[in-house]
Amino acid sequence: MSEAKETPEINMGRIKEIIESYRHQRWPLIPLVQQIQEEFGFIPPRSIPVIAEALNLFPSEVQGVVSFYEQLYTEPRGRNIVRVCRGTACHVRGGKTVLKLVKQQLNLGENQTSDDLEYTLETVACLGVCALSPGMVINNQVYGHMNPKKVKQLLRREEGEE
Amino acid sequence: MQPVTITLNQREVSGRSGMTVLEIAREAGVYIPTICDDPCLEPVGACRLCLVENENTGALLASCVTAATPGMVINTHSSRVQEHRKNIVSLMLASHPDACLVCDKGNRCRLHQVAAEMGIGEPGLEKISRHAAVEELNPFIVRDTAKCILCGKCIRACREIVVEGALDYYYRGFAARPATFNDSPLEHSECTFCGLCLSLCPTGALMESENPYRGTTSEAVQSTCSFCGCGCSVSLEIKDRQVVRVLPAPGQLALCVRGSFGYEYIHSRDRLTRPLVKKNGTFEEVSWTEALAAAGEGLQRAGEKHGPGALAVFGSSRCTNEENYLLQRFARTVLGTGHVDNGSSLYNLAIRRSLGETTGFFTTSNFLETLENADLILVAGTDPTVTAPQVGYAIKRAVHNRKAKMILIEPRRTRLAFFAHQWLRPLPESDLLLLNSMGRAVIEEGLLNREYVSRQTEGFEDLSDFLREFPPEKMQEAVGIPAEEIRSAARLYAGSTRSVIVFGSGVTDTINGTGNIMALANLALLTGNVWGSGCGIYPIQKANNAQGACEMGSLPDALPGYQPVEQEETRKKFEDLWERKIPAERGLSAMEAFNSGREIPWKAVYMVGENPVACLPRPQLTEEALSSLDFLVVQDLFLTKTAQFADVVLPASSFAEKEGSFTSFEGKIGWLQRAIPPLEGSLPDWEIVLQLAKEMGDPLPYSSLSQVMKEIEEFVPLYESYYRPDDYFARELEKEWSYWEERHHRVFQSMDGFSRFSPPRPRTPYFQKDGEYPYYLILEAPLAYFGSGTRSGKSRRLRSFYPREVLKISADDAAELSLNSGERVKVVSPFARLETVVEISEALPAGTLSLPISFPGVLDLFRITRDDRRSPSLEPFYVKLERVNLDE
Ligand code: SF4
Ligand code: SF4
Ligand code: SF4
Ligand code: FES
Ligand code: FES
Repeated sequence: MSEAKETPEINMGRIKEIIESYRHQRWPLIPLVQQIQEEFGFIPPRSIPVIAEALNLFPSEVQGVVSFYEQLYTEPRGRNIVRVCRGTACHVRGGKTVLKLVKQQLNLGENQTSDDLEYTLETVACLGVCALSPGMVINNQVYGHMNPKKVKQLLRREEGEE
Repeated sequence: MQPVTITLNQREVSGRSGMTVLEIAREAGVYIPTICDDPCLEPVGACRLCLVENENTGALLASCVTAATPGMVINTHSSRVQEHRKNIVSLMLASHPDACLVCDKGNRCRLHQVAAEMGIGEPGLEKISRHAAVEELNPFIVRDTAKCILCGKCIRACREIVVEGALDYYYRGFAARPATFNDSPLEHSECTFCGLCLSLCPTGALMESENPYRGTTSEAVQSTCSFCGCGCSVSLEIKDRQVVRVLPAPGQLALCVRGSFGYEYIHSRDRLTRPLVKKNGTFEEVSWTEALAAAGEGLQRAGEKHGPGALAVFGSSRCTNEENYLLQRFARTVLGTGHVDNGSSLYNLAIRRSLGETTGFFTTSNFLETLENADLILVAGTDPTVTAPQVGYAIKRAVHNRKAKMILIEPRRTRLAFFAHQWLRPLPESDLLLLNSMGRAVIEEGLLNREYVSRQTEGFEDLSDFLREFPPEKMQEAVGIPAEEIRSAARLYAGSTRSVIVFGSGVTDTINGTGNIMALANLALLTGNVWGSGCGIYPIQKANNAQGACEMGSLPDALPGYQPVEQEETRKKFEDLWERKIPAERGLSAMEAFNSGREIPWKAVYMVGENPVACLPRPQLTEEALSSLDFLVVQDLFLTKTAQFADVVLPASSFAEKEGSFTSFEGKIGWLQRAIPPLEGSLPDWEIVLQLAKEMGDPLPYSSLSQVMKEIEEFVPLYESYYRPDDYFARELEKEWSYWEERHHRVFQSMDGFSRFSPPRPRTPYFQKDGEYPYYLILEAPLAYFGSGTRSGKSRRLRSFYPREVLKISADDAAELSLNSGERVKVVSPFARLETVVEISEALPAGTLSLPISFPGVLDLFRITRDDRRSPSLEPFYVKLERVNLDE
């Protein structure tokens, strides 16, 4: 959990409000961190000791729970989430190359976010669109039958749109 | 409880309901291999090695987490089970580095053991390597997560037993591993280096760092830790006559950093190995014969010239019960003086007086087991996580594992603040106002236990009248806590019939020391929470055998068992026993003699194991007093500051080199066993005393230590039948516990059963906060540095890890003075000034500073005052700061 990308404008006051509104619930941790993620886009590591103290948990415990769920993030995420499939069907039809190209194009590794917070790159075990393999998803929009040209076009278009 | 009967490997076996299959198998003597299971930890079923087959259903079950149900048919070694177990171990080995030959865990490694048991050599699987080792800078523990098998023992131990919560799993699946918050090195986490995870880790993933010996020892000797009053049972691992590792003994859940890693002083190069005699101002090494002759002659000469009243003897909390007993007998009969004392007598006296006069019981009124089972714990003026770690663990376990509630009265943000339900931060020197106003709230709101008060106590009316002056609303300003918070704390405490009080030097060593103790006792009496199940009052005793030294009569006013020396019939009893006259007047205490500023009334002193120059306030007074003596004998492990003033220095052996017993602060006896022979040239204190008496022509009639023990049993109340070392180390813990309970009952039966309330009137401090001295200075005891540091300072790793002695200052005050961490300042009191470095601390409220008590020169800042009950305290606590101008 590097704090490198943690933007200084995290409103800890608001985080404390959220904590306060959940702390008396029965199993508050998961809904609480989800709420924080909803509002901030991620769970700032700085908030973890505060959450822990309020819920009588240890910071290592809260971190353990947060890092256990793939859907919880402790780093800010990009405005565009790019997911490339690593599943078997996609793999045999060139998924690996697609991933390589996307990495090159975005200059990002897996699970990384660009410094300008434009993109986050993730990989997925199977997108569930094997018929369209190799596939990828950008911001919940599925793109199938990917090839190098399409990758270029797509990512350029995304940039253009912003 | 319903018995449960199951079929285990074709045999009918029974257990109690709620037992797991593993537990039943263990009781039946059936071996099931395990890795992640430990009887002290919640089972989690992580390693799956303990698989057994349920022959009714064919299911494979992890026996450590499977409750036995009636009629189960279990096979622990079916071929399916064996097959699976082998696979599991092979998979573990496949992701394990091939480092066994160079791994320190050696044949203590559990993975190694189970692999060997199953005959697995090469796993025959492709190697998958995992994480790199974690970079650690601390000198105690290294982590190599590549060797981690994810059994979770470290995580559970840290969370369930020492309740630091430093570790948890991080990430999931293959990437999962135990980690600290932010994945930082242990030294930046909550870890206190108690060493527990290290002792439980089945593999080489957690290893002792910088340990003197790598590998496995064949010899382990059970003994008692020599540092604090918790008196933990330790297992000393021996290799080539050296203590090379210290682990919690069976039945001891955990130790602390001092117990686990502080043993190095035993083998310090600075240990004294030859007696020294000062000739023309310099020490010369001499033989024992010569040294004993010189010591005996010096004491004798001073006695003959100035009378026995000019002689004094000091016992010590470092010495065993038997040694203290011998020392006070030596003083009273061989030397004929009543001036006997030990370094913990003052604290002990304050507690004895104030608790004795109120509850009628003069020490801790219950055991740690009871504390852990209380529903409400009030902690006042102490950080037991540092001064008495076992008390800290027990409190945290009660709060974390049992959901007990805790009220913390403490200006500093200590570790317990994290666990407290209510944290009260009174202004300096206002504790008594706070405690009295809590008492007032209890009475006013009708929260008292009327039946208890009327049946068991006296003096309620007087107290009730007295406390009318202290309503929370009137006190809130002086205390700095809103009245409603004071009231709610009073309600919380009084609302439970299982409430305990833990207190320490933060409330006792202040201007209202005795008053504070009485006010706490009053709270317990008002609510009937003095003793009995779940109740108690626990004064934290810091030094390891402080309790025993006092109980053995190393005190100026009391013979063994706190029997007053001024009472004729007590004296008679011991005079008949010892066949000698005993001085009838109470002697002078060390503090009275050394610190009054008046001329010291003694001419010769025999000082065993104490270092007053390093422990008493204003050391120059002590130094002057020691220089003015005609003759001084010092007996210690090291050439201490005090020993520098000696005419004869006698080298003593450490706890690992001798037998005897220590009494813990809860009154339990811990036995020492000789783990290694005395360091060449040194002797155990008790042997030296016996030899010295012989040398002086008045031998004490003991030919063995057990004769001393027999006498203690017979003549010291509370020590009846304490001597049981023969069966002690093979003891069954349950039997042990019933012994203590029985002793406890005897103690309370022996008291008259009546307690009395005492109205504690606040004193006006002589030095008050004023414009000139605006900061309140708190003295802190760091975890790794013990007492004056005579021993812990000689333990290399403890010393190297906590080398910085700084003045802590709150962020607010630092900002006001525009000071940054690392800058130099002078701390100025009316008596002295001290230059040091500041560090900004979030733990302190504005207006307070803190310094470690072991800091050289700290004690110069203070002087001793005594309150009207003759219990001394340190003053002043107010100081000012001056910036050190580097250009000067
Ligand atoms: S040494 Fe003690 S405090 Fe530190 S991680 Fe291990 S169990 Fe926890
Ligand atoms: S570090 Fe040791 S105790 Fe902790 S999970 Fe790994 S193997 Fe188990
Ligand atoms: S708690 Fe005290 S007795 Fe126990 S190991 Fe630590 S210093 Fe030793
Ligand atoms: S394998 Fe790629 S979508 Fe299923
Ligand atoms: S011992 Fe049962 S799962 Fe590890």
